[in-house]
Amino acid sequence: MNGAERATERPDGDAAGPDFASFDMLVDGMGRWVHSFADWPPARQVAAEWEAIAGRLDRTRRELSRVLVVGVVGGTGTGKSTLVNALAGAEVTTAGDVVRPTTINPVVVASADVDLSWLPVAEMQARVVRSGSPAVANIILVDCPDPDTQADVTADRDDPRPSATNRNRDLLEKVLPACDVLLLVSTAQKYRSWIVAREIAAFAPGRPLLFVQTHASRDPDIRADWRQELERQGFAVPQIFRLDAVEAAARAATGLEPDPGFRDLVAAIDTELVGRAARRVRRTGALDLADWFMQQARRLLEPYREPGRGLVAGIAHERTRLEGLLAKGVAERLRAGRTAWQRLVADEVIDRWQGGPFATFLHVVSAVGSLWRRLRPGGGLVGRLLAGQPVDVAAGRGGWQAVEELGLAAAEVEQSRSVLGGMAAQAAIREPLVGRARLDPGRLPQQVSAVVDRSGNWLAAGIERLVAARRTRLGGRFAHLFFELLFSSLLVFVLVRAGWSFFYGHLWQGTSPGSSVGFLQESLVWIVLWGLLLRWIVNVLIRVGLDRDITALVAEIPRAGLVDPLLADFTDAADDVQRYLAEADTLGRDASRLAAATADSGLGRLRRVEG
Amino acid sequence: MGDESMERDSGGSFAAWAGRIAELATQVERLLPLARELGLPEPADADWHGALFGKLRPQVDREPLLVAAVCGGTNTGKSLITNTLVGTEISDSVPEAARTVHPVASLPRGLAGRVDLAAVFPGFEPAAWTSERDPLDTSRGDILVWREDATGIQPARLVILDTPDIDGTLRENWRRAELVRNAADVILAVLTQQKYNDAAVREFFAAAAAAGKTVIVIFNMLDWPRQRERLAGWLATFAAETGVAATAVYAAPHDADAAAAGRILLVPVPELTPDGTALPLEERLSRGDFDMIKRRAMTGALRVVLDPRSGLPAWTAAIGGRAAEWKASLRVLEEKGSVQVELPPAPREIVWQEIWDWLEPRRSALDLTVSRVYRTAGAGLAWAAQRIGLARSAEEKQEDFAAVELAALKQALGDFISRLEDACRRDERLERLLGSRLATADRARWYADLERRHAALPLVSDAYRSFVRGELDRFASENPTLVRAIVNSLNVGAVARPVVSLALLGAGAAAVPAAAGTAGGLSVLVHHIGDYALWAAAPLMGEGAIGLAVAGVRPLIERLFAGWSVERGRILIDTLHDVVLGDGVEEVVRLAAAAERPELERVRQLLDACSREIDA
Repeated sequence: MNGAERATERPDGDAAGPDFASFDMLVDGMGRWVHSFADWPPARQVAAEWEAIAGRLDRTRRELSRVLVVGVVGGTGTGKSTLVNALAGAEVTTAGDVVRPTTINPVVVASADVDLSWLPVAEMQARVVRSGSPAVANIILVDCPDPDTQADVTADRDDPRPSATNRNRDLLEKVLPACDVLLLVSTAQKYRSWIVAREIAAFAPGRPLLFVQTHASRDPDIRADWRQELERQGFAVPQIFRLDAVEAAARAATGLEPDPGFRDLVAAIDTELVGRAARRVRRTGALDLADWFMQQARRLLEPYREPGRGLVAGIAHERTRLEGLLAKGVAERLRAGRTAWQRLVADEVIDRWQGGPFATFLHVVSAVGSLWRRLRPGGGLVGRLLAGQPVDVAAGRGGWQAVEELGLAAAEVEQSRSVLGGMAAQAAIREPLVGRARLDPGRLPQQVSAVVDRSGNWLAAGIERLVAARRTRLGGRFAHLFFELLFSSLLVFVLVRAGWSFFYGHLWQGTSPGSSVGFLQESLVWIVLWGLLLRWIVNVLIRVGLDRDITALVAEIPRAGLVDPLLADFTDAADDVQRYLAEADTLGRDASRLAAATADSGLGRLRRVEG
Repeated sequence: MGDESMERDSGGSFAAWAGRIAELATQVERLLPLARELGLPEPADADWHGALFGKLRPQVDREPLLVAAVCGGTNTGKSLITNTLVGTEISDSVPEAARTVHPVASLPRGLAGRVDLAAVFPGFEPAAWTSERDPLDTSRGDILVWREDATGIQPARLVILDTPDIDGTLRENWRRAELVRNAADVILAVLTQQKYNDAAVREFFAAAAAAGKTVIVIFNMLDWPRQRERLAGWLATFAAETGVAATAVYAAPHDADAAAAGRILLVPVPELTPDGTALPLEERLSRGDFDMIKRRAMTGALRVVLDPRSGLPAWTAAIGGRAAEWKASLRVLEEKGSVQVELPPAPREIVWQEIWDWLEPRRSALDLTVSRVYRTAGAGLAWAAQRIGLARSAEEKQEDFAAVELAALKQALGDFISRLEDACRRDERLERLLGSRLATADRARWYADLERRHAALPLVSDAYRSFVRGELDRFASENPTLVRAIVNSLNVGAVARPVVSLALLGAGAAAVPAAAGTAGGLSVLVHHIGDYALWAAAPLMGEGAIGLAVAGVRPLIERLFAGWSVERGRILIDTLHDVVLGDGVEEVVRLAAAAERPELERVRQLLDACSREIDA
């Protein structure tokens, strides 16, 4: 392909304002997000990776207008230095075939008026050369060391080989952070080099690239195949320049017109890297870097998504299981306290039925009964509630006993916590985000108190509702009148009978009154028995449908969140993970949307993270 | 056996080594799975592995072929040079890099029928040549394309190969090139001014030099004759970096037209060739001292295997080292992998019932009568107590007991998992072996399994019944007088029995019955449970209401109670073993014992014998 086809300047000046605002928002959002969940190991990993790029993103925002630093990189012997010399129009760096590697220390080429005070020249171990060549008038060119002559494994100290001291790749890693743009030089022999590909992949994120095939006068044109290889590695490759730097330098020296390949490269530097284009390049690079980081982070987080969802589902399942056990236990205890129910409702009903002989009778019976009750207080929270006592949160301080009174065994809660612990571990959620299967003795009293408090109040309310329903059923005037009439009918009969005996039998007919005292005693027994029978009927009426109502009451337990305090650490952690992942998705979408919105230029970009 | 005896083997045959090499290879192969489990890096990439399995074993007792391989980086012209050497286009040479993905061999006429190529080139499936595109066919796996030399010029024992690149983006190519290099005796190193000092190139040829292979250097794509003076410097760098002492150097001037025509000019460079001759490469290859080259290559391969720092001795030492680390892991597991089960006290009547049943025929009539009276009276009392709600029925009691016991076992399982997680956190080896089992499993299934086992276990199993009978019988035969003492004390104590009946609520345990032992590492856990039971039971013992003041009887009774508790605890162990950990614990035990494997000792002996032989 011919690199001469250059896109004309894009009207990006207008778009710069709003773009930068959203870029700032994105970077601020990312900065907050990466540190928002420090207890979760994957999030810590993301935060650590963030540290590596945060400085670069920040610098992009601060140093928008300075000239671009172009790093000339590539395998040894591909002609990096030769190209730098050709662009600089003079021999500024040693090139040639005498030894490999030729360039050890990097060379920074800049025009005389460019301020280099911000460039960490000492750290790069670089030599600065000023050049008056128009090709480097508005950029800074860096001739970089090669990545492929340093041994992969650090050699032994007593290794006699010369390369044992070769640290070119380490040095390259010190130089590249300063570069904004990479100029990748390759040849037919080197364009498929694994080591070069690995190093470039490490530094390409957020750095637009120019691709150059050198040795054009000797090697065949491999640009089509190189493009394929680059695209496989995830690069967008708008163009590859093909030139011969030795020839270009020779032509320049003799004052000849440069050959088309070299001329295209110089033109591209001028249109793509200089002036307003430099701002665009820097912005594109920053957006690409942000996009790349979010892709990387989401890829890193991907394995935890499914376990995270699994944990949410697991919590729901275990909560349901525990609530089921709690419902069963509570129902059992409510049913076991049948007499207490009766008493409770009866007491309420009696309180309503003021006046009347039957009401008086019931008050007396109830007073006697309460004596017995005081002797045998009801057991457990349910018992106490049914006995009309208030919820005692302090009972929770006693530990599990208070919860077990509700029918929820400690072992069952620990089973749920252990099961959830396994699921959480799959999502890399461990201590201190979640506790152990055994509840922490330090936090146990609070948790138990919370459960007792919730359950107690919920139960008290439920019992109150049930009692109220029954109270209205029986406590009305009509029912009262009905029972008073029934009770009074015997009373009236006894009185009438007694009156009859006294007035008619004794006074009128003159029979002995002695038997009438016996009759009154006898009547009293009958009246008490009649009263107790009526009270039993009241109790039966109270009891009718109680089982059904208890079932209905405990059926509401799943909505009451009574066991939530026992699994709260898991719920919180799972929610935090979901929030963190959702935020990653939002930021990732924002980043790729902004990166995609940047105009494509003649520069190559790493568009997708390699698998 | 020295050089002379090797000479006597005539024709460079190494049959005398064959026995030891074959056994060494077999023993190492047996150790490979173990090394993998121990977490050692795969030795397939190690030089000694390539030398042993790629060179020594395939070639030690075969017809001594001389294998010459053309090796180098991407796009340095390997295929073109091969084609030139074999005199015909055997391997397509294309402008794009890294296109040769399969080695291609030119065989002397008639060799294919005599030699099993698959055995000589392990790792490859031989495929007969059909066209020069074969080596470029990416759709096929590990094949080695071969073709017999049609002209008959190729020397009878010489095999020439073109190989894939050693530095391209396809790592598979590197591996194939290394396999061919391992099998080769002669390496034709293709270098260029760009690629004589790349790290990947250096590493590849350094391994060849270390294995005693004969290396002929070909500098390709030279700006000729301008760069002739550079060659000495490049060669010196290459030699210093790789240890290669080139037996000859050739230069191939850059000539695009000749390359397009499929030919290349190989110019001898006598000034860099040790013998100073300008022999054409084809001639040098066919006239070489095959036996000497072969012997050097075989001895070199053996030296690579024997190298104390990077060879097989280092690998066996690494196995021993890893095994020692696993021993440390085993200690962590022993220390952490125990759990205190707060099993509820065994219902005494259950254990006592078994003892009564055994005692029944041995007791006096008086005692039996008294006993029966009290039993009836006790039953009446219990019935009354149940009616007024002061006592629970036998079934209810058993239900209560089962619920408490299951809860205790579940808690113990939870504790166990926590402790194992701690152990895994402390020890990365345990983490690798057990961590994933703990982390990826559905734990609800573990609890379900425990519940199932618990539900299936009767209060008194047949196994426990026969254990009690066995213990009592053994005790009776060993202590005839003590049995009479039991019976007597029962007679005496009969009066006090109502108290005993009421007091039968605690559990007792003192020793772990033999029946409780399990195989493998988990027996440790049973012991711990037993120990704990002993601790818990100590305060409860000595109530002695039944007149078991007879000291000798107490251990027996304690053991009977302990046996019952242990049997209950066993279901937890079974769950742990069958569902939670699988054979993970046995695995740790096995790996910790890896250093005692006989193969290791045998390998060491064989290595010693080979060292003596090679040094002699």
